[in-house]
Parts: sequence; C-alpha cells; structure tokens
Amino acid sequence: MKGEIAIGGVFVPTLLLLGIAALVLTFAIVRVMNAFGLHRIFAYRAAVDLAIFVLVIGGLAVLLQTFGIPL
Amino acid sequence: MNKYLALVMRSAATIVIVILALIVAVWMWKRYERDPWTRDGRVRADVVRVTPDIGGLVTSVAVQDNQKVKAGDLLFVIDRPRYSLAVEQANARIASARATLAQARRESRRDLALGDLVAAETHEQNVARVATAQAALSEALSSRDAAALNLKRTNVTASVNGVVTNLDLHPGDYVGAGKQAMALIDSDSLRVEGYFEETKLPHIRIGAPVAIRLMGEARDLHGRVESIAYGINDATRSTSDNLLPTVDPTFSWVRLAQRIPVRVRLTHVPADVRLIAGRTATVTIQPIGQASAQPVGQPKGR
Repeated sequence: MKGEIAIGGVFVPTLLLLGIAALVLTFAIVRVMNAFGLHRIFAYRAAVDLAIFVLVIGGLAVLLQTFGIPL
Repeated sequence: MNKYLALVMRSAATIVIVILALIVAVWMWKRYERDPWTRDGRVRADVVRVTPDIGGLVTSVAVQDNQKVKAGDLLFVIDRPRYSLAVEQANARIASARATLAQARRESRRDLALGDLVAAETHEQNVARVATAQAALSEALSSRDAAALNLKRTNVTASVNGVVTNLDLHPGDYVGAGKQAMALIDSDSLRVEGYFEETKLPHIRIGAPVAIRLMGEARDLHGRVESIAYGINDATRSTSDNLLPTVDPTFSWVRLAQRIPVRVRLTHVPADVRLIAGRTATVTIQPIGQASAQPVGQPKGR
C-alpha cells in the first residue's frame, strides 16, 4: 500500500488503483447480490453497499500485503 | 411477531456488516495516515563551491565532467606564469631593500667614526635611516611570502572526496577571486532526507531503522534516522524594514501539516543503485514500539 505503481513514468499511489479495483468489484458483488435477492437480509441498503466497498478494499490491501506486492 | 423478528434480524445483519467495515476502515487509516512514511524524500549531498582564492586566466583544467576526485586532487590551474613573475618581482624588491639597508649601515658607521665632526642631528638621521631600511626589508620579505602563497594557490585542489559535476570551466576562461568556478559533490556526505508531516513526528525516533525506495529502483536501501531538523522557515511571517514582524493575516479552513526534514544515514546501498543527489525517495521509518522485524543493513528479500 505504501508503494507506487509506475504507469508510463507517472507514479500513482497503489491505494488509488486499489480503490478503482475495489469499486469495480463492489459493483459486481452488488449485481450478484441483487440477482439472488440477497439484499433482503439487510435493512439499509446504501450503508451495506458502502460497507461492502470498504471491506473489499481492506481485503485487497491484506491480499497485496500477504503477496508482498509493493507495500 | 415473526415480522418483528425479521426486522430485528435485518437490522442486526446491517449493523454487523457496517461495524466490520468501520474496523477495516480504521485499520487502513492507521496504516496509511499514521505510520511514518513519506513519498516526499530526496537524496542529498553537501556541495562544495570550489572557488579560487586568486583571479586570473585558467590555463588548464585537470578534470572532466562527472569525474570522481579524491581530496587533494588537482582540479584546475590559474595563470601560473603571472604569479611566478610576481614572486620574481618580490625577490628583486628584497635585493633592493637589502642594498639600501647595507648602504645606510655603511654611512652610519662612517659618520660614527668621525665623531663630533658630524652634527648630532645627522647621527640621529642615520639611525632612523637604518631602521627604515630594515623595516622595508622585512616588508619585502613578507610580500615575497604572500606572492609564493599566491603561486601555490594557482593550483586549485579538491577539498573533499567527491564528483565534479556540471563542469563549465575551460582553459582560457577568466575566473575572479572569490567567484565560484565549479561544483564538487561531496560523496561522503550522501544521505536521504525525508520531509515528514509534523503529525508523524511522534512516531519517529532517532536511530530507528529506515527503508528507502528510490523512484524507479527495484531494491530497497536501508538506513537509520540520524537527526530531525531543528527549524524550518515560517512562510507567513517576515520582518519589515524597521525590524518589526510582518505576520500575514490568514484564516484557513484547511490547515496543512508542515513538512519537517528528517535526516537518514544510509547503512546499506545495493551496488547497482545510483545515488544521485536530488533523486526522489520513498522513506518508510519503523514506528516507535515496533520491534525490528529484520536486521538493518541487509537487503530485504523481495
């Protein structure tokens, strides 16, 4: 998370890329949950979507760390 | 009843997932904002402003651009012929002063032998003339020494081990005394300075292990915190002509933390990493209270 990723000489904080990846993943997860009607388990859908995003980005950070990719 | 139970269950599930998200968010915040690391670091080195003590034409330049030099190595030579002429001139002046002194002494001795035939005033004048001639001789001697010193200083040498860089000095250039002629980067003083937000200072301790990653390099450098700067400029304050402070009236909603330079002494540099003063570095300091996970001075296996 502390590293940076070079895209054509422009150094981008890894967190930014992580955020983009997490956003895409969250959209996918929400789609899937919708398809199976899983949102019915929860009371307040907006909060749950936001929570899923945070959990996904945290999970990605942990994943990157365990693989030792630029920390 | 069943409807109420379902509502409670749904609320509970929501609360649980939100709390989990909060925990993760706090963990990430700590990781990103509190740990002492910065992308705002620089490789730095002392730069010696090589300056000749005397002015004159540059007759030869003994170094090339980006050449490594050792302390004491010759860098360039200034107008040797002119300064050796000055030494000869000074020698001639010494000879002249010696002749004058000898003549004054002879005259004085002769007048003394004549005794009362010579006026007392003439005797006094003789003594004074000898003393003056002696003083003139010592003056000539010291100016010869000065000329010799100048001649020695026509050879401009390196004062430290380092690298001459951005060399723009050629035979035929004229350099003035006291005017910088070239820059010499002191290679023994190479270090990394990280500009840390003041909010992170409580987590930095002198001697803490530091990992440094230069932009574009694949391997880490290692070092230790050597010292923390003791002062930075206050940009909102200046001093007026009559020595009263001028303080800018500002009110900012968003206040930015000041950046404090933290000096890192390098303990391990991989052989293939080029340490160039001015390179960008990402500096990560091991925070207080975290045991040293790996011995400093050894490259991280990655």
